[in-house]
Amino acid sequence: MNAPPAAPTAVIADDEEGPREQLRAALRQAWPELQVLAVAGNGVDAWDAFLEHEPEVCFLDIRMPGLSGIEVARRIAGRAQVVFVSAYDDQALAAFDAGAVDYVLKPVRAQRLAQAVQRLRSRAAAPTESVDTAALQTLLAQMAGQLQRPAPLAVLQAGVGREVRLIRTQDVIYFESDSRYTRVVHADGDALIRTPLKELLAALDEQLFWQVHRSVIVNHRHISAAVRVDEGQMHLTLRGRSETLPVSRHFQGLFKGQ
Amino acid sequence: MRHGGLFAAPARPGPPAVPRLRAMTVKSIDWSQLWYPGPKRAFTADEMARAGGDGPSTTLVAIASINVALMFVMALQAAPRALTAQVTGLLALVVLMGVAAGRFLWWRPWRRPLMWVSLACSLAVVLVALVLRWRLDDREERLALHFVMTIGAFVLLLLLWFMVVWRAQQIEARLAQQAERDRAIEMARRLAAAQVEPHFLFNTLASLQHWVQTQDPRAATLLEALTGYLRATLPMFSRALQPAADELHAVRLYLQVMQARLGDRLAWQEDVDPALLAQTLPPGLLLTLVENAIEHGISPQLSGGRLLLRGLVLGGDAVFEVQDNGPGPAPGSRDGVGLTNSRERLALSCGPKARLDIGVHPEGGCLARLQLPRSS
Repeated sequence: MNAPPAAPTAVIADDEEGPREQLRAALRQAWPELQVLAVAGNGVDAWDAFLEHEPEVCFLDIRMPGLSGIEVARRIAGRAQVVFVSAYDDQALAAFDAGAVDYVLKPVRAQRLAQAVQRLRSRAAAPTESVDTAALQTLLAQMAGQLQRPAPLAVLQAGVGREVRLIRTQDVIYFESDSRYTRVVHADGDALIRTPLKELLAALDEQLFWQVHRSVIVNHRHISAAVRVDEGQMHLTLRGRSETLPVSRHFQGLFKGQ
Repeated sequence: MRHGGLFAAPARPGPPAVPRLRAMTVKSIDWSQLWYPGPKRAFTADEMARAGGDGPSTTLVAIASINVALMFVMALQAAPRALTAQVTGLLALVVLMGVAAGRFLWWRPWRRPLMWVSLACSLAVVLVALVLRWRLDDREERLALHFVMTIGAFVLLLLLWFMVVWRAQQIEARLAQQAERDRAIEMARRLAAAQVEPHFLFNTLASLQHWVQTQDPRAATLLEALTGYLRATLPMFSRALQPAADELHAVRLYLQVMQARLGDRLAWQEDVDPALLAQTLPPGLLLTLVENAIEHGISPQLSGGRLLLRGLVLGGDAVFEVQDNGPGPAPGSRDGVGLTNSRERLALSCGPKARLDIGVHPEGGCLARLQLPRSS
């Protein structure tokens, strides 16, 4: 199969409009054929944009609300090339001096950006030279661990008719995106809440809740099996429940068997 | 509310006070030096490592050796010919003892080791006297040798005492010098920390650059606010106190910069009693509280947040409050560099009655409250 080389794609994330647009404008100069598929104003949207668009490159500001650039990069886990963008040459950037991941400083300078673009292109051309993903993941996990995070969400409030139900997050079986709402399925039934799924993700306990699809987060204690169907499809069966949940390609690595 | 709590004195211990040698001061006489002489301060292993890691200098060793040799010769000249061998032996013994004791005391220049060395020397003199009584029959010769031995030991102890006092002063002076240097570094660090935060500056410049390039009208507003902010904060750190009017001016410009950058993610409101404008307070204090609220209260929120700046008169006190509707201080979280500095500067300039509390607001979010006596 000899498909014509598609234009490289990217997602840009920065919580401030000015720096974000500055980077976008600078990229237009430095890498004219690059297609920016989405821009995100926080880490949560950046991660969602990655799942939706599957870009080849992600430009991530380090300090963002929701999820930090580091956390988004950890979730991306080598499935796209990451370039960090930061206003200041802080310790986080020093960790990448080895060249595993590139970074540029704000305000972005044309010369430095051209250098980063050069490196991205050569890596894309020779994927064998790509970075040591495992080592990078360890580094990112370490750095994410240093961040101060608020305690995970303990209770959800769902309006049902005239009452507001309190649902303990640990009792939730799974969350599912349902157009403008999020459906919360728990031990005693289900409810709708207004918080978008992608925002919930940042507030939930990562140890307990696994994202398995762009629109599904599941409490892993309730998973009974991951079933591989043909053509790379996978779904989950749950303990004591009849419905199955889809596992999209990005998350199938969670279930490898041993 | 561990995070804020009551106003606490700076937790970091200051440099250790350097006790003076009492025997050297004139005002009060420390009589204990008469029967227990030597410097009282025993240095810790850490202090010795920091300030007393060096051996005696070559000059000191050379001068001491020459003096000892001269005294040796003089003593031999004065002694009767018949006793030359004995005097030489005894003095050699004294010198050997002196070298051993000197090396021992060099690393322990305070009075307890000095006392042990003195006792050991006295014991040696007594032992020699006993040996002489056993070996020598001539009373005259015995007395002469006793005399040499006693004088030798006495001179030796005197020299050791001098050395210990001198060495203790040397180490104390070095420690004081180090403490002074540490203070200077600490002060420079604090000043640097109080200056413009690089994240703030470069993010602002990134917006500015883009808006200038795209001829966005926001560029002019932002540039004006940033310039005003820099101008307002520059003289801040050379003053000990400044009127609240000046501080509020800087805070407003800061908030205007952030407003331009964050757009509708930031909403803020100011409500300060005009009676407080003349109130003096340490410069940069309110600014730090507002910066904290932006960084920890507004920025982490996906949809932004609100900030409320209040100033009110409460009895004889002035109260300034900065409130945000963010996640609030994490339980058990500790003051950052900025807050620690603020507390110390507040205590220095406004005394123990002034207090700074950081806590959770009943309606959620963080409430920073600065309360200080009204300035007349």
